[in-house]
Amino acid sequence: MFHVKLFFHYFMQYLKIRMAYRSDFLVQLATDLLFQAVNLVFILVVFSHTTELSGWTREEVIFIYGYFLVPFSFFSAFFNLWDFNERYIIKGELDRVLTRPAHSLYQVILETMTPESLTGAVTGFMVMGWAVKEMEVDFSWYDPFLFILFVAGGAAIYAGIYILLTSISLYSDSKTDIQPIMYNVGNYGRYPINVYNRVIQLVLTWVIPFAFVGFYPASFLLDKERWMTFALLTPLVGAVWLMLGVAVWNRGIRNYRGAGN
Amino acid sequence: MRSIEARGLTKEFKVYQSRSGLTGAFRDLFNRQYRTIRAVNGIDLTIEPGEIVGYIGENGAGKSTTIKMLTGILEPTGGCLRVNGYDPHREREEFVRTIGVVFGQRSQLWWDIAVKESFRLLKKLYRLSGEGYRQHLDRLVEVLEIGPFLDQPVRKLSLGQRMRCELAAALLHQPRLLFLDEPTIGLDVLVKENIRRFLKQVNAEYGTTILLTTHDLSDIEALCSRVVMLDKGNIIYDGDLERLRTQWGDGRRLILELKEEVPSFVLNEKTRGLSVKWEGEGTRYTARLEKGTTVSDVLSRLVPAVAVQELKIEEATTEDIVRRIYREGAAHA
Ligand SMILES: Nc1ncnc2c1ncn2[C@@H]1O[C@H](COP(=O)(O)OP(=O)(O)O)[C@@H](O)[C@H]1O
Ligand SMILES: [Mg+2]
Repeated sequence: MFHVKLFFHYFMQYLKIRMAYRSDFLVQLATDLLFQAVNLVFILVVFSHTTELSGWTREEVIFIYGYFLVPFSFFSAFFNLWDFNERYIIKGELDRVLTRPAHSLYQVILETMTPESLTGAVTGFMVMGWAVKEMEVDFSWYDPFLFILFVAGGAAIYAGIYILLTSISLYSDSKTDIQPIMYNVGNYGRYPINVYNRVIQLVLTWVIPFAFVGFYPASFLLDKERWMTFALLTPLVGAVWLMLGVAVWNRGIRNYRGAGN
Repeated sequence: MRSIEARGLTKEFKVYQSRSGLTGAFRDLFNRQYRTIRAVNGIDLTIEPGEIVGYIGENGAGKSTTIKMLTGILEPTGGCLRVNGYDPHREREEFVRTIGVVFGQRSQLWWDIAVKESFRLLKKLYRLSGEGYRQHLDRLVEVLEIGPFLDQPVRKLSLGQRMRCELAAALLHQPRLLFLDEPTIGLDVLVKENIRRFLKQVNAEYGTTILLTTHDLSDIEALCSRVVMLDKGNIIYDGDLERLRTQWGDGRRLILELKEEVPSFVLNEKTRGLSVKWEGEGTRYTARLEKGTTVSDVLSRLVPAVAVQELKIEEATTEDIVRRIYREGAAHA
């Protein structure tokens, strides 16, 4: 309960800051929406040239792509840890966080969240909507619930992986370039996995499981015959990775060396 | 329960060294070389509730590292530590509710939001509520005179204004123990005064234990009954300020400009029997007063005999004392 309230208060604070620069905020929101619109057109144009991709119809590929945007936007909104090293380690803001009575990672997440990234989810829904309209899909009554579970699992996988990578800064003060690489790897989860070779498929499933973020659950939602086991594993894989990330973070905090040297 | 109890408290840092060139970088990948710095070397420190303790030492002595261990930011490499009855790092989230922290060099407030919004968030973080909180906050605002800029974001405040807000923020939850790492650095005399008076008042009124580091001996003089001095990670003095001064301080320095040239033996002659060392020649002299000799002792002997154009009294700074201790070695501390 405390954590929920805290989230709410940080969120209000965030809104206040954004509202203080109301015009900036509106401009940014408009930019975001425009960006998403361009993104949408881009997706449709790019995929309109493909008719079929390793046994996947164009509409299916587009649906998977659109689905992926939903967990991804939740991840981007609440795990905006890109400049953690710069801001919290080098500038030393982590010292301040550590003198406050709440979990350090939770505080960092609350301080860095960018809820406007959720506009990506809107695009995702529009893309999925378009694909579904073209396709004739039988959805069952429990699909919305599965959808929520899958999205939570997918966002948790992303979060876990990025928390783990971010924690590296707590152990070593040297800069790493892993995050942008991981960002690119993450994009592989947006496409049907069997277009890749065997090794990449295994990696995306068992090593850095981005396939669970987009592909497995989305293709399962389209057709219950496919990838059922993998799809249903999504929440579990998410929980495991999130716990792993948090555990590595907690260990890392014990190694933290303090600001200003 | 003691406020602070440390036995053999130690912090080591590994500092990695990188080899040069491409092959060096490659070897670093597998086998990095490092050097271990012992920033705090097995110190014993006990502080009772209600004390105000000054923690001093040269740059790099390990003061900030100690404070960071005491506040739960860093995990000690070795030793036992209890602060307000908690293990600061292991029980951090519970523990930090009982302490307040101010770092002079770094803001504890959120940079972009108005001071009063910062306070509001802190109120939620510390789960403070209702009437008691309101009254306490009003009191802090009044005593620290921060009312006029509560609506401004921290980044727009002057250093002095910011420092006063930091103090209020650190005390919102009425901690039993307050840590201040160089709270007066860069402040002008008036603000320093103001802050000292405030700290004294907090200590007297709420019995708040205070541990502060500073480079300004006058902070210590104004506030602390007890001084702990650190040198290269070791405590070399722990006791009251007076003893430190008589033991180590150069005492005061009296800087004189005379109307006309006077040979130094005349001055020595006049102040025979007083503990004074004269330096200088011609019309400019510096007298170092030791062992209880006062400025008026010296002047009452001199003034009838020599014409003084101008005089200035200088205090030894902490830096002076520390430097002198280094010069003469820590052996007889
Ligand atoms: N994070 C760190 N990594 C490496 N060395 C450090 C670190 N923090 C402090 N040190 C070293 O520890 C010693 C004590 O530093 P510090 O506690 O900041 O001293 P002080 O506050 O007394 O000036 C210094 O030699 C400093 O370089
Ligand atoms: Mg320091």
